[in-house]
Parts: sequence; C-alpha cells; structure tokens
Amino acid sequence: MIEFKDLSLVYPNGTQGLKNVNVKINEGEFVVIVGLSGAGKSTFIRSINRMVTPTHGELLVDDENILKYKGNDLRKLRTKVGMIFQNYNLVKRSTVMKNVISGRLGHTGTLRSILNLYKKEDMALAYESLKRVNIEEKLYSRADQLSGGQQQRVSIARVLTQQPSVVLADEPVASLDPPTSHQVMKYLKKINREDNITTIVNLHFIDMAMEYADRIIGMRSGEIVFDGPASEVNEKTFEEIYGRPIKEDDIRGGKDDNEQTP
Amino acid sequence: MNEITVPPKPQKSPTKIVRNIGIGIGLLALYVWAFATIEIPWGRIFSERTIANFDRVIPKLFSPDFTFAEKVLNYMMETLFIAFTGSFMAAILAVPFGFFAASNINRNPFLNTMGKWILNADRTFPEILLALIFVVAIGPGAFAGVLAIAIHSVGMLGKLYSEVIESIDMHVVEAMEANGANKVQIFFYGIMPQVIPEFLSYAIYRFEIDVRASSILGIIGAGGIGTLLVISSRNRNWDEVGMILLVIIIFVSIIDYISTAIRKRIV
Amino acid sequence: MNKPLNTNVPTGLVSGKAKLRMNLIMLVVLGLYIFSSVMTNSSVLRFNAEFFENVWVMVVQLFPPNWAYAGVVWGKLMETVKMALIATTIAGLLCIPFSLLAANNIVHNKFLYNFTKMFLNIMRTIPELILAVVFVGLFGIGVFSGILALIIFSLGILAKLISETIEAIDMNPLEAIRASGGNTLQVIWYAVVPQVLPQFVSFTLYVFEINVRASVVLGFVGAGGIGLILRQQINFLSYQNVSTIIVITFVVVVIIDYISNKLRGRLV
Repeated sequence: MIEFKDLSLVYPNGTQGLKNVNVKINEGEFVVIVGLSGAGKSTFIRSINRMVTPTHGELLVDDENILKYKGNDLRKLRTKVGMIFQNYNLVKRSTVMKNVISGRLGHTGTLRSILNLYKKEDMALAYESLKRVNIEEKLYSRADQLSGGQQQRVSIARVLTQQPSVVLADEPVASLDPPTSHQVMKYLKKINREDNITTIVNLHFIDMAMEYADRIIGMRSGEIVFDGPASEVNEKTFEEIYGRPIKEDDIRGGKDDNEQTP
Repeated sequence: MNEITVPPKPQKSPTKIVRNIGIGIGLLALYVWAFATIEIPWGRIFSERTIANFDRVIPKLFSPDFTFAEKVLNYMMETLFIAFTGSFMAAILAVPFGFFAASNINRNPFLNTMGKWILNADRTFPEILLALIFVVAIGPGAFAGVLAIAIHSVGMLGKLYSEVIESIDMHVVEAMEANGANKVQIFFYGIMPQVIPEFLSYAIYRFEIDVRASSILGIIGAGGIGTLLVISSRNRNWDEVGMILLVIIIFVSIIDYISTAIRKRIV
Repeated sequence: MNKPLNTNVPTGLVSGKAKLRMNLIMLVVLGLYIFSSVMTNSSVLRFNAEFFENVWVMVVQLFPPNWAYAGVVWGKLMETVKMALIATTIAGLLCIPFSLLAANNIVHNKFLYNFTKMFLNIMRTIPELILAVVFVGLFGIGVFSGILALIIFSLGILAKLISETIEAIDMNPLEAIRASGGNTLQVIWYAVVPQVLPQFVSFTLYVFEINVRASVVLGFVGAGGIGLILRQQINFLSYQNVSTIIVITFVVVVIIDYISNKLRGRLV
C-alpha cells in the first residue's frame, strides 16, 4: 500500500510540484493519473520511487516512510518499485537482453553485474519476461533496431525482471501511435492482473484513462482535484480536472478491436 | 516455476567468431611484443638516484625562480612572435592549397587527389623535425622556427580550408555564372564571403596550437622559450625550469581562452 | 525641384562603420605580422637568393638516402611505436576516472568538476617535449621518461574528448537504471559505458596516431625512440642517413594513420 500524507514538494527554483497531497493507493490497483502537463503528475509518480524528494509531509510505502531513505534503503525501494518511461530509456547500443537483465541490478552485486555473471534463474526470468510481452525473438537485437512500441515492450520486460510490487509508468504511450499505445496499455493491464502489481500510470488521453483504469486521480497545479473509480468518470469530469473544454489532442482514439490481444 | 527456460545462446556466424578470435590474438601478440621487448632499465629507475633526483628536482620545480621571470617573459614573447609570424604565413599560403584540394573547385580528380596527398604528407612532418632541418640549412635562430611552423601549419590549414570550401553553397556560384560573372568575380563575390569566417576561425585555432608548438622549438636551436629550457635543464636549475613551465602554462591558457572567445564570435 | 541625387545613393556595399572596423582589424593584424616578422628576423626580405641556395644545398645533401642504414632505423622506429602503444594504453585506462570526474552530468559536485577540468586544461598546455625534459631530469635518459611524458600529455587530450562525449550522452537510460535500484557503478557500467564505448575506442586510436608522431621527436631530449639517432646523425652531418630516417618514419606513420583511420571509420 502507498500512502501520501499531506505531501508537498517545492523545487529549488520555487515551482510547487505537489501541494498537500493526501491519497491512499491499495495493493493491486490500476490507477491512472490525469492532468495537463505541469499539473504535477510526473512529480507524483517520481516521489514514490524517490527520483524526486518531497520537501514536506510523509510518503509511506508498505507502512514505511520512504522520505528518509538513503543509499542502500533507497536502492532497495527502487528494486521494489519499477518504472516505465515516455522515451523507453533503453540503452540504445546495448542488446535487448542486456537492457532487460539490467532490471536485476538491484538484486545483483556490483562485481557480478560488471562481469556479467548472472544467475541462471535471473537469465531465465529475463527471458520469461520478454516472452510475456511477446518479444523474445528480438533477444539479441540492438535496442535501436526496434520500433517505438517494441522498445516500450522491452522496457516493460525490464520492469518485470525486476519483480516489483509496484509499477510506475510516466506517460508510457506519449511517443507511440494509437494502435501501439493500446497494445502497451494492454500489456500493463495484463501484468497488473496476473501478478497483482500495483500500477500507477500517468496519461493525458481521457479515452485511454477511462478504458484501462480501475481508479482515476485528477491533478491540477500540484493538487488532487478528483479521485474516484473509472466508472464514475465522464467527459464532464475531465473538463473539470483540466479546467477547460476537451480538445481533440486529449483523445488518443485508434482503438482497434481486431488487433491481437496480448 | 516448474521448469527454468534459459534463453537460447546468441547465434554468431563462424566467420565472425574466427574474426573475433583473430583480432584477440593479434592484439595480444601486439601487446606482448610491445611490453616484452621494450628496454626499460627498471633497476636504474627505481634506484637511490631517482629518489635523490626527486628530492632535488620536485621542490625546486614548484618554487619557481621569480628573479628569472623577466628573461623568461622576453623569450616567451619571441615564442609568440614565431607562432604569429608562422601562423600568418600559413594562413595565407593555405588558401591556394585549400582551393587546389577542394573537389568542387578543382574538378580534375587526379590533381585534386594529389593536392589532398600533399597536404596530408605535409602534416606528417612534425614542426620540430622541419625546424631541425632548417637550423642546419640556414643556421640557428627564430627564422628556422618560423619556417617550420609555417610549413607544418599549411598542411592542417589547407586541409581544413578545403573542407570549408567543399561545404559551400554552390547554388550561389551557379546564380553568378548565370548572371554572366567571370571566374575572378565569382571567386570574390560568391565564394570568399562564404568561407572567410571559417578560414579566420581555423587560422586563429592554428595560432593557438602554434604557440604550444613553438615553445619547444628552442630545444633544437630554433628560437623562443625552448632555448632557455635547454640551458636551465642542462644546468640543473630546476627552479628556473619551474618558472619557464609557469609562464608557458599561463600564456597558453590565456591565448586559448582569448582565441576560443574570438572564434565563438566569428562563426 | 532638382535636388542632388547623391543623398540617397548608398556609397558602399557594407555600412561605413562595418567597413571601418574591418579595415582597422586587418591593419592591426598586418601590423602585428610585420612587427613580429621583424622581431623574429624573418621578414619577407629573408626569402632572397641566399636563402633558397642554402635550402637547396641542404636538400641536395639529403639525397640519395642511405639504405644500408635502414636496419638501425627500423629498430629505433619500432621502439618509438612501442612507446606510443604503451603510453596510449595506459593513458586510455587512466583517463576513465578523469573523464567521469570532468563530466558535469555525472559529477554534480561543482568544485570537484571544475577542479578536474582545470587540472586537465593545465596538463594540456604543457608540450610533450617539455614534459620529457622534466622526466629525463627525474628518471634519466631512456624510453621510460618518454613514455611518462606521452602518458601525461595524452591523458589531457583523451580525458577532455571523452568527458565531452559523456556530457553529450542520452541521460534517460541512466534514470532508468537508477530507478530500478542500480548503484552508481552499475549505472555507469550499464548506461554510460555502452553509449561511449565506440567513441572511446575511436579517440584512443586517434591519440595513438598523435602519440606516434610525438614520440618521433622525444629522442631529441633523450627520451627514447628514433629522435635520438635523428639528432645524432644530423650532428654527425650524415645527411643521407637523416633522409633514410625521414623516409622510413614517414612511410610507417602514414601506414599507421591509414589503418587507424580505417578502424575509426568502422567504429562510429
């Protein structure tokens, strides 16, 4: 369980990233955070694995305040909390396998990882993860030879290899075309269901949020302005969250039911 | 998990494997050769004498003799003069070479390749080697240094110039030809304005390098601060060597800084 | 009604101010050239008949090269190549920590970063031959002093080039590795190294080329290699041996450059 207790974050330049956020996210939930860019979605997500450090309040992950974590504790937290990025963040010149196995780094000693001495189980796990996103045949391809959608699937495999209990996804489909976006979201949903991994996704496409989320949290200027089950949400709610009428850009579209479902 | 599925081994073509093994063995042989056959008298290097040398040299090196400063500055100025004269001559001489070696101006592939080769060959001769030859031919002094700097710099500047010329917008030239301009007019109105800023920038950059290069010319008698360096190190006046090093570091740093600033403004 | 036309007709192709400035700069540069050419006793007047005669006499004495001397040259030249190879390898290894410390996207400590940068800048200002003079004073005549001079000199260049490469890498993978719990060493090994490895090898080869050329002249100050016999033969006035040295060295340097260029072309 993740709990934000009166959490605020002010960046060194004075920007308020989060403002008195109070929220509880339960185990196994699929939460989508919506809001315009600059609303604090990214700060919200990155606080959970301490890629940014909130300046005030408490943030509990499994009943422990993570704001005081340093060094080893911090790395242990990050092993438990996986992250997926808008730009996939793969090492382009490395192979798919090397990228995926890097999910095990937090579990592997420095020397072992530098000499590429991974346990057989780790290698098997990485391969299994690739299979789960149906990209195992690209095992030894270089990451930059893959399409955007394939790269994002590799980054999902990397997170799976980490065996996390929480997955954070920061605008995972913003750089993808509509059909590929749906494919990626379906994989995220699938691992959320199968492994009971708490999944928190930043999106700004309202149709995708409504389709995949169990629960939607709306943010504006660092504050939570909406929190409720996806079933209670309609376009009106979004107009309230965004503080403006819905535009075409806010809808991803491209939902194609004939597409192969993962 | 009922059974562990290990990923398949990466498949590499046999030729690739052979190639990689070949490269590995080649590199290994190269290093074994280099390290095993190089003659380093370790016994002498790690000896009492070296320790004594350290005691004698290091403290003095780091306490420069400031009474020596004026003399050093005079010679440093000579070094700057050598560098400037040499770079200036090279900057001018490199222009015809640059055009000769530019494939969009010199359309004769044979002459063009020859031009490139001459410039490449020129760069292979270190300035200090050229200086040594000139010292023998025309006697010691700064003139030998200037010639060495000028000739060596033409190689690099000519090559860089030719690359600048090759990257110019030929449409402008075409437009002028269509206007009925003759070759000389095209050169001054169509080509020069496009290349002058880069030419200048490279010339200044070369001056920066030449300051460093001409500070050693004195070692073989071609003028400048190197002259002092040889005398001081031969007389084991390491505090004087320290002063020389200090002056070189300061001058080179300042010139690098100014030159970078000017070049940023030009291009 | 007939006003004089000239008030509206431009008088030049660039504004008067720009023209004045340009002419002024040209005048200063030209003046500096004339001044410094007089100071170095190398004004254009020096290029007289006597000059060309002297050079011609020298050139004539260089030919033909004495091929009987080639064996001696080859041995010393290989020593030169070995020095460059060893020095480049050691500098290549040593430059790794330096280039990481001099990359502002890896080291966020401003003081440490600036200190390393300054240290490397100072190292690059000292010509390798001067370093060799100092090392010969410390360790005596021989290849060891030359290798040390080459190491220090090439370390400055390599660390600068590689730190700039590191500063230009894609930072996203670093974030990903950090987010999955990797420590600093793992972040460097998994996200930085793969991104800079090709350039690293390419720059090291480039520095090897520079070092081969530099080590040719190190012998002038007693720091090993072919420069030693080159200077010796010049002092003995054996110009035909000198030209043998020059020709063989030239060929070997060109071959090494060619191979290195081919390899680098395939890398990046």
